[in-house]
Amino acid sequence: MRNVFLVAKREYLEKIRGRSFRISTILVPMLMIGAVGFSAFTGRKINTGMHIAIAADSAALAGDVRTELLRDKYAQYKVDVIAPATAQDRDAQLDRIKRKQLDGLLSIENSADGAPHVTFTTGTFGDLSRLTNAFNRGLVHERLTAAGMDAGRVDAATKYVSIEQLQVNNDGKTGRTAGAAPMIKAVIMAMLLLMPIMLYGMDMARSIVEEKASRVFEVMLAVVKPDDMLAGKLIGACGVGLTQIAIWATAASIFTVPAVAGSMLSGDFSIHFTWMDAVFFPVYFLFGFLLFSALFSGLAATCETSQDLQMFMPLVAIPVWISFGILPFLVKDPSSNAAVFGSLFPLTSPFVMVERVALQPPPLWQFGVSIGILILTLWAVVWFAARLYRIGILMYGKRATLPEILRWLRYS
Amino acid sequence: MPVVELAGVNKAYESKVAVRDLSLQIDAGQMFGLLGPNGAGKTSSIRMMMGITMPDSGRVSLFDKPFERKSLERVGYLPEERGLYKKMKVMDQLVFFGCLHGLTAEESQKRARVWAEKMQIADSLEKKTEELSKGMQQKIQFIATLLHEPGLIVMDEPFSGLDPVNAVLVESTLLELKAQGKAILFSTHRMDQVEKLCDSICLINNGQAVLAGKMREIKSRYERNHVIVEFEGSSAFLNSEEIADAKNFSGHAEITLKPHGNAQKLLQQAAAAATIYRFELVEPSLEEIFIQTVGGKANA
Repeated sequence: MRNVFLVAKREYLEKIRGRSFRISTILVPMLMIGAVGFSAFTGRKINTGMHIAIAADSAALAGDVRTELLRDKYAQYKVDVIAPATAQDRDAQLDRIKRKQLDGLLSIENSADGAPHVTFTTGTFGDLSRLTNAFNRGLVHERLTAAGMDAGRVDAATKYVSIEQLQVNNDGKTGRTAGAAPMIKAVIMAMLLLMPIMLYGMDMARSIVEEKASRVFEVMLAVVKPDDMLAGKLIGACGVGLTQIAIWATAASIFTVPAVAGSMLSGDFSIHFTWMDAVFFPVYFLFGFLLFSALFSGLAATCETSQDLQMFMPLVAIPVWISFGILPFLVKDPSSNAAVFGSLFPLTSPFVMVERVALQPPPLWQFGVSIGILILTLWAVVWFAARLYRIGILMYGKRATLPEILRWLRYS
Repeated sequence: MPVVELAGVNKAYESKVAVRDLSLQIDAGQMFGLLGPNGAGKTSSIRMMMGITMPDSGRVSLFDKPFERKSLERVGYLPEERGLYKKMKVMDQLVFFGCLHGLTAEESQKRARVWAEKMQIADSLEKKTEELSKGMQQKIQFIATLLHEPGLIVMDEPFSGLDPVNAVLVESTLLELKAQGKAILFSTHRMDQVEKLCDSICLINNGQAVLAGKMREIKSRYERNHVIVEFEGSSAFLNSEEIADAKNFSGHAEITLKPHGNAQKLLQQAAAAATIYRFELVEPSLEEIFIQTVGGKANA
């Protein structure tokens, strides 16, 4: 046990003192903030400030549509109206689009059945929902006024009413929905879990390959049992991951509390952390980290170079892709079959479970079953890794083939 | 009391027999040479001594007791290639290995400083291992092996990467350790050093001991049929019927006599042809014994 502690301490201190720890501690959150900020910035910019021309047969309809478009404060349209418009007028506007002088042309032509034929021509891809909404409101306004209704009464009757979304919480109470916040929280939690696993799990695997190449193992194994060495390495790397998360969490609480408090007071946006996050995040981090790190370690012992190790990357990458790919299904229906499968399958459950806790916590039995399966799988993977490790670290010359790996498992 | 004993040890990897029925014993205060060509089974034998692998059959004893991991705290192992953490500082590395062998961090640090002074690397203690030369790293490895004052020291090519000055330093340190009663096992290809330092040897080939015993006894088994002659004048005597093989290096000849070749007759012939400064009948070197025993089977 003393040797396990000594190996874990060495691993921990060497990693913590290392340049890559300092860089990743600073760089990863910056990249995440940068990515979120960039998405938010570009998301806001999409379909805003567009310069649109309305070419319509009816000047009244064109005017009403323009009014509705200008009412959309978020979209900030700039609108030109050409009405009544001829075919030449429309061609002229299309030329402006080609010359990038105009973002889009909304063409409204009367048709025999009374419903206008409407097209929107643009040089870019965009969401038509705001435009469609504005057009239809303008059309209703034009038709009602054409039918003799007073414009003021039409405005009052068609006044825009927004719908407040409510959500039934786990404790059965109904309250305002947090909007996109749970989804963002789910992504952040899963990323917090993923980053240390990828960084330190892979780093540990690389260090095993390097130590094998440098023959450090020869000296170590003369004093430490291979199983103790593996245990020490896993504990040390896990400690590094937890330390990094603790640093991120502390930094986040120091730097973002005022900002979050401001947002919460204004009612715009809030991310709430519950006792479930506090309990289940560390549990799933621990099991997830140990599971992937043990898997990496066993496989690394069969490799001769870091390039050999790359071959095993899909074993980790695929479950991670699945865990993030499943997120839209979790948002749509957090208790769907896909969600339950992802929560129980051991390679995806750490990620999917923290996502579900963030979105809508699953029933407690699912936690119990998923943690039970994780523990059993972890036991099996550590058994498998320890055997590969025991023999693999003393085998030099070439990467082990599958039949060789199977023989090692049988021998040890 | 034997410090290490292998009795009838066998080890096979799949179809390849690495060690076959190997028996050897090293006593306290003895320097022992484990020799053999590449792939002969030296590393496999050492690994079994260190508990890194287990023998398929036979017995391994350390400090007069059947092998147990606890005994490894009294063993120092220096592998052939540098087994050091490259990114670690030298002092941290020495303290780590000291602690693994049961020392406290403080004691390890104290001993590391003493050894660093002795091995003339005190200035490098705070440097990272990767910043040091191959020879310096070898000295650090040497200290890491000895820091916990092991009773058994196992050294695989300890002079590798050392310049002549440092090789002498290591050599004299080993002699001091031997005088202190430590058992030292050498595994090397450097026959001259084995011949100079070791009391006993075991030569293994294809996993089997082909020659073992005390150095003096082994050498005395071989006929003194080598002659070194230093001369000035005609080298015609080198064509003598008594000679099986001769190498002439401008007045320095190394001669192998034929079986039952007469050295006295050769001396007379040489004296008749040239002025003789030295005529010495010598026993075969360990290298010659090695080549003669292992013959064409060696890859080394």
